[in-house]
Amino acid sequence: MKKYKIILVENDEDERFFMKEGFHEAGLFDILAEAENGDELLAWLTHPERTLPDVILSDLNMPGKNGYDILAFMKANPIYASIPIIITSTSSTPAFREQCLALGATDYMTKPDTFVEYAPFARTLYRRIEEKKGV
Amino acid sequence: MDIDHPLLLQSIREAILLLDADGYISYANQATMTLTGFTAPELLNQHFSLLYPDRQDVLKREYELSQAQKKGTFIDQSWKIKKDGTLFWGELSLWPVYDARQLLAGFSILLRDNSEKKKRELEAQEREMRYRLLVEGMKDYAIFLLDPQGRIMTWNEGGQRLKGYSAPEIIGKNFSVFYQSSELEKRQPERELKHAQETGKYEGEGWRVKKNGSVFWAHQLITALYNEQNQLIGFSKVTRDLTEYKEREEILRQSEERYRLLVEQVTDYAIFMLDEKGKIISWNEGARRIKGYSAEEIIGKYFSIFYPEEDIQAGKPPTELRIASTEGKYEEEGWRIRRDGSRFWATVVITAVYNTQQVLIGFSKVTRDLTERKAGEKALRDSHDRYRRLTRELEGITTELSFKNQELEQFTSIVSHDLQEPVRTIKSFLTLIERKLDATADEALWGYIQKALLTANRMRELIQYLLHYTQLGKEELAIQTVSFQELVQQAMQNLKTALESSGAEISVETEVDVLTGDPVQLVQLIQNLLSNALKFMDTQPPRIHIGCTQTEGQIQVAIKDNGIGIAQENLTKIFEIFRRLHTKQKYEGTGIGLAICKKIVDRHGGRIWPESEPGQGTTFYFTLPARSTLNQVTL
Repeated sequence: MKKYKIILVENDEDERFFMKEGFHEAGLFDILAEAENGDELLAWLTHPERTLPDVILSDLNMPGKNGYDILAFMKANPIYASIPIIITSTSSTPAFREQCLALGATDYMTKPDTFVEYAPFARTLYRRIEEKKGV
Repeated sequence: MDIDHPLLLQSIREAILLLDADGYISYANQATMTLTGFTAPELLNQHFSLLYPDRQDVLKREYELSQAQKKGTFIDQSWKIKKDGTLFWGELSLWPVYDARQLLAGFSILLRDNSEKKKRELEAQEREMRYRLLVEGMKDYAIFLLDPQGRIMTWNEGGQRLKGYSAPEIIGKNFSVFYQSSELEKRQPERELKHAQETGKYEGEGWRVKKNGSVFWAHQLITALYNEQNQLIGFSKVTRDLTEYKEREEILRQSEERYRLLVEQVTDYAIFMLDEKGKIISWNEGARRIKGYSAEEIIGKYFSIFYPEEDIQAGKPPTELRIASTEGKYEEEGWRIRRDGSRFWATVVITAVYNTQQVLIGFSKVTRDLTERKAGEKALRDSHDRYRRLTRELEGITTELSFKNQELEQFTSIVSHDLQEPVRTIKSFLTLIERKLDATADEALWGYIQKALLTANRMRELIQYLLHYTQLGKEELAIQTVSFQELVQQAMQNLKTALESSGAEISVETEVDVLTGDPVQLVQLIQNLLSNALKFMDTQPPRIHIGCTQTEGQIQVAIKDNGIGIAQENLTKIFEIFRRLHTKQKYEGTGIGLAICKKIVDRHGGRIWPESEPGQGTTFYFTLPARSTLNQVTL
């Protein structure tokens, strides 16, 4: 089973911690890097000798460059344009989801009820990536 | 008989003849030969009847001789004949001639040719006859002669026709019989004759009386007649019946009067006439009112008096008349001056007026004071401007409000979203604590943790409803045609657990197969109302009836429960957001459900209201516009 190289972008330190825990537990992803926001992500990507990720999971609302900003700059740059970006947020509001997809997000996932449920979340994410690849 | 003065007789230029006592010619002078053409031998010893066309009528001649003898003179005027047969009008005078013993010796004759005189006489007679016939034959005119006293001497057919009298009836009567008593009192007939006598004629019109007493309008001409000695011998009178003409004239006069009164009394328009030079010749009430001049003041003045100084200097008044006379009409709006010097805004039409011979006789001028209308227009414009200003202000306010509203929604949305995050964190850590608690932990601690988790859940629920509520106002409605039964089934499916646990009986009755609306929101609406019905129950199991009916232009849904009901004073409060009538301990709820229902119904262009009495259950009604009108609702 192929492990996907992933970058996690999340401003909340606690959430990021549990997110990492859940992803490790699920064992389906290699976490290439973590970033607090879009600025950190951009800094990481543009550093020389970086391996590009297979997928980026990003929170929507963050101080600094948020999820929309990330979509905008990634899709505008031919080097990164092909990297799938999945936006995740506590809000299940369809409007947010639609806006993200319109900006080029590969998927939109509502965050789990609590931090402790990230392992199932990671498994769902993996399944959805596989499904999209199948299409 | 001794007649011995032949030379004397021969010299006389009148024909002179001598007859013997029996009438035979004994002598004829030279003039006789010349007149008759006979020679002396042809005349001598011939009876003097030779000179008459009827020579056989000796008897008549004998009679004449005897008359001459008896009376001393006999004059015969009759046709005589010449030798060549031509006739001549001869005046033959016969005198008896006596001898010394006073015995009849014969007769002397003086014969004169009066043919010329006779011819003139005859011609005069003929002329007179012609005139007489002419006059008598005139049917349309009564023509007759009066003597100097006014007595009628002749009569004609026209007189008979006009006045009804025959000649024998009227001749000899005084012409005053034709006058009405009122005129007789004024001695009108005498005055007319006097006037005619003094000035030669009298001409006049008046009512005259016919034989049958009826009257007619007469035109009459009386001419005084004088003979060669300049003596008044009478009057001729010619009368004509003008009744018809008079009637036509009266009709025309009345019609003209009507028009004149009409024009004179028009008050809103100044209507007046100008002569061809522009001099004012008539004036009406409107002109007086608008321009301030009375008719006496203005008639005879030039119409340029109404123009401002600069227009007069620019030669406008004559220019306008020129245009009117060449083009038939001149129209304009402009300032005019009243008598008091004030200005008014006038609309002016000048029209050229022609007589029946197509000769320009002047102009009509119609002027209207538009000052008031202009003022009205200005007021209208001002009010329009005010209205537009208000509209702009209102637009500003609306924009501002809509901006504020947007801002508010954004605020609510952000706040509720951002509130979710910390709640989630709290819930996450509470969950972690719960996991780490071992079985030996204090009972109370377990309780605390459970309560904290419940509260966190409740808070999360509240935030989600709030978010949902604000989202309802922002999203477009996805209008579709949906089956009412399906909507109800979907709502019941969503509430399956609650329905089962409460043991509710639900009945559905509908006259309507399909509705139009956003299916997601309509399910939410029905679901919230059902959930509400389930919630507010006492002890008995809930019985809920869902009915759907269609009336004019709208569909009405009623959801009736047998719950606790709502007090009258609370009926209007229930749709307020976060309004809860009961404590959480008694009935669960966020206070947003009905607010969401109201918002959904509002957005669909319908109405929602409850009917209830405490203890008697509640019925919630909502309406939706029928299919045809829904698409007109601006969402």
